[in-house]
Amino acid sequence: MTPMDFQDRAQYLSLALFSQKVVSALMEYVDENKGKELESSLAEALDSLVHSGRSPASSQKVAAFSSYEQLRTLEEVWSNKDRLKAIRMIRKVMSAPKDPKTKALANELIELFSELQNQALWNFEQPKPVSQKVMTRLCQMA
Amino acid sequence: MPDGLGALLHDAAVLHRFVDFIEEYCKEQERSQTYIDASGLFFRYVEALASGIKQELTKEITRASRFPKRLEAVRRNMLTLKYFLRLLHELIKPAADAHTLTIPAPLIDLASQQLQRVDGMKNAQIVILLAPEFMYFQRPHSEIKVEARFVASFIPNALFPPKLGFIELPYSQGPNFFTNLAIYHEIGHFVYEELSHSNPRNCHITDVESSTMRCLKRALNKEATKDPESYAFAKKIIESWTQEIFCDLFAIRLVGPAFSFALIEMLGMLGFSKKETIRFSSSHPSSACRFAEHLNMLRTDSWWEAIADIKADQKAILENLAGIPRTSYALYLDDNDLGLHSLVTEFLDIVVPAIRNLVRNITPSPRPAVNRFKKARSNIENCLWCGVVPYATTNPPDPVSIINAAFCFYLTSLPAVIDRFEGTEAARKIETHSLWTKRLEMWTMKSVEDSQIQERLKDVGDKYKNDS
Repeated sequence: MTPMDFQDRAQYLSLALFSQKVVSALMEYVDENKGKELESSLAEALDSLVHSGRSPASSQKVAAFSSYEQLRTLEEVWSNKDRLKAIRMIRKVMSAPKDPKTKALANELIELFSELQNQALWNFEQPKPVSQKVMTRLCQMA
Repeated sequence: MPDGLGALLHDAAVLHRFVDFIEEYCKEQERSQTYIDASGLFFRYVEALASGIKQELTKEITRASRFPKRLEAVRRNMLTLKYFLRLLHELIKPAADAHTLTIPAPLIDLASQQLQRVDGMKNAQIVILLAPEFMYFQRPHSEIKVEARFVASFIPNALFPPKLGFIELPYSQGPNFFTNLAIYHEIGHFVYEELSHSNPRNCHITDVESSTMRCLKRALNKEATKDPESYAFAKKIIESWTQEIFCDLFAIRLVGPAFSFALIEMLGMLGFSKKETIRFSSSHPSSACRFAEHLNMLRTDSWWEAIADIKADQKAILENLAGIPRTSYALYLDDNDLGLHSLVTEFLDIVVPAIRNLVRNITPSPRPAVNRFKKARSNIENCLWCGVVPYATTNPPDPVSIINAAFCFYLTSLPAVIDRFEGTEAARKIETHSLWTKRLEMWTMKSVEDSQIQERLKDVGDKYKNDS
């Protein structure tokens, strides 16, 4: 047996730490012109976000958004539009990090990932039961 | 000082005190108690982490002073690290309580040795936690490792020890032996998590994962397959069932029918009502399904034939539960609502065969253990009948034989032994039964310990011969 709330809460915390990694790398880039962690952090984020919108049947291992808890948190704070916008912005930051205009995009990304980190911390603090929408769907199919 | 920096410093100081306490607490435990090696590794990780968080706090305050617009982000970062430590906090005290005087050390030692012989688990170690809940748990460690990897990107000196698992025992059961065989199931969770993240991938776990995808594809309709949240939840259900069946079969492969008897003893106190025995929940397959798999594995591995003559209620219960037809199994997602039945049937048809195959491929064949049990059983039972620790001057019995023979003896002959030593009147007293159960467990534990010492002596002797 595994203590479920520990496992579920750990999923939220993983998402918070993942977001922190992205936000920290972006802040270093915007504020201090340091790009040491930028590429790897954004590549992980891009990979995870692209995967989150694909067919869920894929078994590819990604850093985030592959578990129910993390997908749910993502849906709580970002609309589909936000997700696509974040993907576009990450691609732009990665392709032209030296362009001065890119820093404004990086600041927008900091806002987006901060929201995600915040919601993940809330969900860690107060985990919610499985959403009614999902329960209904799986029961209706019985 | 920028607005809000004073409040941030205050929060950082509170976190600093918390971290400082945890660091000192781990050091103090290591100084004052004796622990199994794995616990020491865990404590040293926490100490390195604590020291690193203190440095990180200084860096974050500097960042907030230089860039006041980042104050909120810095606060969130501090809170995230605090929550990670809070998660570890749940493990530290139970690990500190589990020093060698409070746990069944010979059983843990044996289980650790067996674990390291499992394919892909070389050098794996188990941290024992003594928990306040009356449940056996495996603390999921793969998420902690994922988190630790993220944390290591901020604190590079804090590297989580590889292949470290966490098993919880109820603190009241620490000195017991037979019920603690449940740890083999929990070790199964640890193995499954490790294999799931192994690199290169174990091909048999890949088969289980592909069978899960096939199962979901067949069980869910198009609408649910397209909805990532519903799909993820259904996948989580199948993965939970998979792990439970895997862990049961893994435990049986390592320790034989004694594990099934221990599980029946534990679940038996709840009673086996019809509704509960056929009920699949979102976290567990039904008891009937689990015991059907037990019986199948025990038969295939020849254990069932080796204990054919044992007349114990637990055996009959196992057979009865295993005999419940699978058409009566039902999935309940909450108290009353029936869930999607095809999840159950596709799981049984597609995933379970892959689980059996995985277990068989990563564990050693039990046939030699069954043969040793057949040979050693009567000697072990004779010793227990005489009230002494099972032993042999030549070829001492191996631990798996001792455990199974002693468990069978406990289930069938304990009243007769009490009658023999204490008389018919005393045999009716609960206290006497309790005392003799404790004695039997102590003799078994001592015999397992002796057997391991003999084995080590033999290994050293063999090495000496080879070297010379």
